[in-house]
Amino acid sequence: MPIRILPPEVADRIAAGEVVERPASVVKELVENALDAGATYVRVEITEGGRRLIRVSDNGCGIPAAELPLAVRRHATSKITTAEDLAAIYTLGFRGEALAAIASVARLTLTSRYREEHAGARVVVEGGHIVRQETVGHPIGTTVVVEHLFFNTPARRKFLKAPRTEAGHVQRVVTRYALAFPEVRFALVSDGRIAFQSPGTGRLADAVTAVYGADVARELVPLADEEVQPETEDVLSSVPRIWGYTSKPSYTRPNAQSILFFLNKRWITDRALVQAVVQAYHTLLPTGRYPLSVVHIALDPRQVDVNVHPAKAEVRFREPRVVFTAVQRAVRAAVTASSGTPLGPVETTPVSGWTLPASWAERQRSAGSLAPSFPSLSEDTPTQGELIAQKDTSSRATLLPLLRVVGQVGGAYIVAEGPDGLYLIDQHAAHERVLYEKLMAERERAGQLPSQHLLDPIPITVDSDQGSLLAAHREMLHRLGFVIEVFGESTYLVRAVPAVLSGQHPAQVLEDVLEGLRDARDLVGEQLERAIVARICKRAAVKAGQVLSDEEMRSLVRELEACQVPHTCPHGRPTIWHISAADLAKRFGRT
Amino acid sequence: MRVVCLQENLAKGLSVVNRAVSSRTTLPVLQNVLLQAEGPGNLKLAATNLDLAITCWIAAQVEEEGATTVPARLLTDFVSTLPTGPLQMALDVRTQTLHLMSDRTQADFRITDAADFPVIPSGDGDVALTLAPHSLRQAIAQVAFAASTDETRPTLTGVYITADEGRLVFVATDGYRLAMRTIPMEEMTGELGVIVPARALNELARIMADADTEQNASLSVTPERNQVVFQVPGKGTHDSKGAFQQVELIAQIIDATYPNYKAIVPTDWETRTVLPTQEFHQVVRRAYLFAREASNIIRLHITPGEPGTVAVYAGSADYGEHRAELDAMVEGVEIELAFNGRYLLDVLQVLDSPQMVLETTQATRPGVIRPVGTGPEEFVYVLMPMNVR
Repeated sequence: MPIRILPPEVADRIAAGEVVERPASVVKELVENALDAGATYVRVEITEGGRRLIRVSDNGCGIPAAELPLAVRRHATSKITTAEDLAAIYTLGFRGEALAAIASVARLTLTSRYREEHAGARVVVEGGHIVRQETVGHPIGTTVVVEHLFFNTPARRKFLKAPRTEAGHVQRVVTRYALAFPEVRFALVSDGRIAFQSPGTGRLADAVTAVYGADVARELVPLADEEVQPETEDVLSSVPRIWGYTSKPSYTRPNAQSILFFLNKRWITDRALVQAVVQAYHTLLPTGRYPLSVVHIALDPRQVDVNVHPAKAEVRFREPRVVFTAVQRAVRAAVTASSGTPLGPVETTPVSGWTLPASWAERQRSAGSLAPSFPSLSEDTPTQGELIAQKDTSSRATLLPLLRVVGQVGGAYIVAEGPDGLYLIDQHAAHERVLYEKLMAERERAGQLPSQHLLDPIPITVDSDQGSLLAAHREMLHRLGFVIEVFGESTYLVRAVPAVLSGQHPAQVLEDVLEGLRDARDLVGEQLERAIVARICKRAAVKAGQVLSDEEMRSLVRELEACQVPHTCPHGRPTIWHISAADLAKRFGRT
Repeated sequence: MRVVCLQENLAKGLSVVNRAVSSRTTLPVLQNVLLQAEGPGNLKLAATNLDLAITCWIAAQVEEEGATTVPARLLTDFVSTLPTGPLQMALDVRTQTLHLMSDRTQADFRITDAADFPVIPSGDGDVALTLAPHSLRQAIAQVAFAASTDETRPTLTGVYITADEGRLVFVATDGYRLAMRTIPMEEMTGELGVIVPARALNELARIMADADTEQNASLSVTPERNQVVFQVPGKGTHDSKGAFQQVELIAQIIDATYPNYKAIVPTDWETRTVLPTQEFHQVVRRAYLFAREASNIIRLHITPGEPGTVAVYAGSADYGEHRAELDAMVEGVEIELAFNGRYLLDVLQVLDSPQMVLETTQATRPGVIRPVGTGPEEFVYVLMPMNVR
């Protein structure tokens, strides 16, 4: 078959495939055009998930009637003029492909009135050809209607999912823009019903509330005190500036899809940055759970290449490490500042619950001899003085209130009483946390963990995988308290183990740690070492099913109170579950 | 079955066998105690959890022989609240109850037939050796604590008891420290080498607190060579109160090869320190209060001189620190090393000589603790130091 230049219609349809994948990508392109036109209100309407109809109207600057036919041509754009402009792109769109691409696979009606003209104009394009052009009435701005998407590309049409799924994709796109542009009012109407609306107040907090709801918004903490508006060039420095919101450790999601990044208001995906956020939570997240984060990054466009992919979701940073660190630091600071608050009694004003006798703190100190009675229910609300006293006790250095041990349940949980109700403590998780903080402090101080020598070194045989892990991490293992020597092929001699594990079977201890190394393959340096310390703590901690004496429980709770991050174990499972006095009262129908 | 016995003796006997009552519910009869009237002058009580069995004979008047089993906990709790004095027990086969009468109190216990109860071997096997109760008790006290509690290493959860060349040796180790007691034996019938669960031996030591010190205890191995039987003579007679006549404790032998412990005990030293046991014990106890917050690390700095000194140091970043110095007789070179405070305390609690000796070579080599002047009976404790910075 001879080689031929493809006719323009065919070439257009192929190009359309890159940009227009599904209704959501059409919406994306059209919303970007609207935003580039300076719109403050963008309304998106879809019917049957966008397969039948997509209408995007804005109140932007509009397109002059004379330029309308040009707008639907390929590589026609008003956004850049020279190749040099590509190096510093401030607009969302720039490739000049969108309208042409859409027009080649659907029936497209473009109606617009330029702000300096008195009447609007309309062009109708079908399969890439202008079939009608007329003057009509239209308010300032542009309305694009896309009908019968993929009418001429049946293969593409077949791959569309159910209308509901497609509508979901559209909604995701619109909400992302709402988060990127809090100053723009967005509305999404699906099959005649309002699916989403944002207020356009210019405050990110309002946009987040509109997208996720007030309940979720309460679980979020700000990443920085002020929001940066990356409007002008002089604001954008080569140092990335970060703002946004992230969830408290107590609120998690099952996947990383709710970790969103906006680079200069452009939504981007970046796996490394997701890692930066997740790592910032360190041990606070349960395994397999992810935070919800809306992270805005402002950075000089010259530091970024956005022209990597037609959909523009992926970008290339000139200095990825700098951005990574900035994001991680910002999230870490916010999370650290917030941890403790979900459980701390500061936020719950115990007006309807138990009120706190002024001598609570002293009574708790000598709690051992105290009869196991709750402070009596008080009818009157606490005085101002009492409330202040309360806040003082809870905002001291420890993040847990003082707890009085009541007993043990099922050999696994400690029941304790605190100033605001009942606390259930997972003894294994709590002990892991206590050991972890002790060992980390020890490591910080001495540079290595104390180790206990064995009477008789134990030879262990390892498989090649374990062998290479051992060889690669020998120094780290030594810092953590293992003394291991090579003893012939695939055999090692264990001479000492971390002191915290003394008494345990050395071979099993080492195997466990090697297992940990295998699991943590993608971690390096400090992260890896922390993961292994956590593993050691898991092994050394009291197990569920171990009956503890009152004294043991009291000392464990005291030590947990002294922890910096008492609410989760080093693997992120919760250590403590608080049932407030108000909850208890509600359960028993007292309120 | 019909017997008359004193409440004090029955309560004592039940408290002895009670430790072997199973807490498992898979075999309900194991929660019962076996009562068996067989001889003219005694009542046999027995309980087992299949790992450990305890049989206890108490003085009783047997009016009619027979056997039955009753829920152990109920009977023990009930008898312990009865007034002292004689009580009568009679088995009513028709109603399947055990009738108990004491003064004006009566009770009927539902029974399970004695035939359902596992057969407990008796100490009729080869008597391997006999020894004075206090020697056995002390050997257990000084050795059993060093055994491992880690069930994944069954061999080390036992105490290795061997007899050869005129010596009886008790050894236990958990891989980090080792305790060994040697008792010279004059008469011995045959060789012995068994690993007995430390838990069983601890029960035995507890029972032996009430043993008759005039008579020897004995150790024998069942003909199947899978169980070991300890016989402990008691002080019980027909007039005695709160005593048993004899106890047999039967434990499963751990079927394994014990590690070669002899190679572990160091034979030389570079620093030899003689310390007053009590004083050193007190100092270590105080140091341990700090050490337990910091991986149990207790550091010793031993300096020779006139007199030599041992400085004991422990400290944690959170709680503060402890320092103490003791005068000691130090031969050899100066050394600084660290031990697990728990391992030190464990041995100091069971040393009964006024003076003790600590032999060390290097900060990473084992230390040895022995009592000074024990005579023919010998005790050695080997412990590995810690690596600290």
